[in-house]
Parts: sequence; structure tokens; C-alpha cells
Amino acid sequence: MSEVGFLFAGFAVFWAGLFTYLVILQVRIRNLQNQVDMLENTIENHDEI
Amino acid sequence: MILNNIYELRWKVLPPAAGVAMIGMAALALITAPTEVIEGDVQRLLYVHLPSALASYFAFSITAICSVLFLLKRDFKWDSAAQGAAIVGLIFTLLTLLTGSLWGKPIWGVYWQWDPRITTTLILFLIFSAYLVARKSTSLDSDKSARFCSIYAIIGFLDIPLIHMSVRWWRTLHPQPIIAKLNPALPDEMLLVTLFSVLAVILVAAWFITLGIETELLSQRLLKLKAIAKASISEKS
Repeated sequence: MSEVGFLFAGFAVFWAGLFTYLVILQVRIRNLQNQVDMLENTIENHDEI
Repeated sequence: MILNNIYELRWKVLPPAAGVAMIGMAALALITAPTEVIEGDVQRLLYVHLPSALASYFAFSITAICSVLFLLKRDFKWDSAAQGAAIVGLIFTLLTLLTGSLWGKPIWGVYWQWDPRITTTLILFLIFSAYLVARKSTSLDSDKSARFCSIYAIIGFLDIPLIHMSVRWWRTLHPQPIIAKLNPALPDEMLLVTLFSVLAVILVAAWFITLGIETELLSQRLLKLKAIAKASISEKS
């Protein structure tokens, strides 16, 4: 691989790492939100009974 | 009060500031910065490698501070904050090792060397990986586990001064400090791009740390809510 190839690979790894973490956080926050919604539904249903 | 108001601005200020700074950093690093005479274009990896290392120190410093605050106040929000910052620290440590490896191959001829600075950085990565594994594998509201992990994180943080001093204390492939001294050994243009890159990556790290901390706090609140709901449902039935 040429010098420019290593430079490109380094920057690609750096940006990919940052974006991957953002995506993982997004998925985690969505999962937490879903769990909160499920919990709210469970509590509401139980109150109705 | 003022601190709270500043903290409330984090979602409005940090993402756009970090985004603009990162685009600026990429343009400056790849276009504006002069090409280094000996190493050539691959030296531009300095503008992501060094800031990543400093961002990891920044994140782990927050982990250590929050761990001390947890030990003093026994409030689990500090434990969550320490975990949120530690994850970001790990990501930036990994990026430091990877970009360093890709820089090392064309310059040193190898991707990996058991050089003191690289080895102590790898140790930092392993220390905080173990911290997160230990913290996540035990109950989030376990006081004993949180205390143990806080002490462990504070001791683990001591590896950072070791990394910093490694180039002075041992023979290493890394250069002696070129920026952190009175007369930096970089040409002005390179120095300015480096400082701007550090600022940009620290902004991203700050944004990620706030996101990570909020996520950890949310999962801790969810755990408490689940426990309350479970208790209330079993009480009624």
C-alpha cells in the first residue's frame, strides 16, 4: 500500500469509528426508549384491571 | 445555577460545533497543512492520532473524577457518568492504537512494536475494558461493585501519566515531546492545524461523553422504574 493509501486508511478508520459509536448509541437509546414505552403500557394495563 | 444553564445548552451547542470543527479539521489536515519533508503525506495522520490520544485522556480523566465523586457522595449518578465517559475513552484509545499502527507501518516497517508508549497505551485499553466488563457484569445498583470499580478506575487512571512520561523514561520509537514544551518543535502551520484538530476532536469527545452519560443515567433510571413497577404490581395482585 502506498503512503496515501495508509493516510486514507487512517482517516477512514477514524471516521468509521466515530460514526459506528454514534449508530450504536442511537440503537441503545432506541432500545431504552422502547423499554420505557413497554413499562408504561404494562403499568397502564395493570391499572385498568 | 450558571453551570446548570451551560449544561442545558449541550444539545444545542456541542453537535453543530463538533460537526463544523471536524469538517474544518479534515480540510486543514488534508489540504492546508504542509507536507512533511521526511515522512511525506502519511505524517498527516498526526492530526487524528494525537487528538485521539488526548481525547482518551480527557474521557478517562472524567471517569476518574466521577469515580472520586462517587466514593465521596455515594450517588449512583456519578457511577453512571464514570461508565459513560469510560466507553468514550476506550473508543478513542482504540482509534489511537489503530491510526498509530497505520502510521507505523510505512515509517517503521511494522504495524506493531512493543514500544513503551504503545504498550502502556494498550495496557490503558485493557484496564478500562476490564473496568467496563466488571461494572456491566454486576448489578448497576450494587454499592459494593460500584465502589470496587471506582477505586479500580482511579488506580487505572494512573497509567496516563505513565504513558506521557514513557518517552522520557525509556528508549522508544516515539519522538520526545514536540508540542508540550515552551518552544514547540513543529512549524507554525503544522502547529496551528494540530491545535485545531485537538480542539475539534475534544469537542466530539465532549459530545460523545454527554451522550454516553445520558444513556447510562437513562438505563439506571429504567432499572429503578422496573423495580418500582414490579413491586407495585406484585403488591396489587
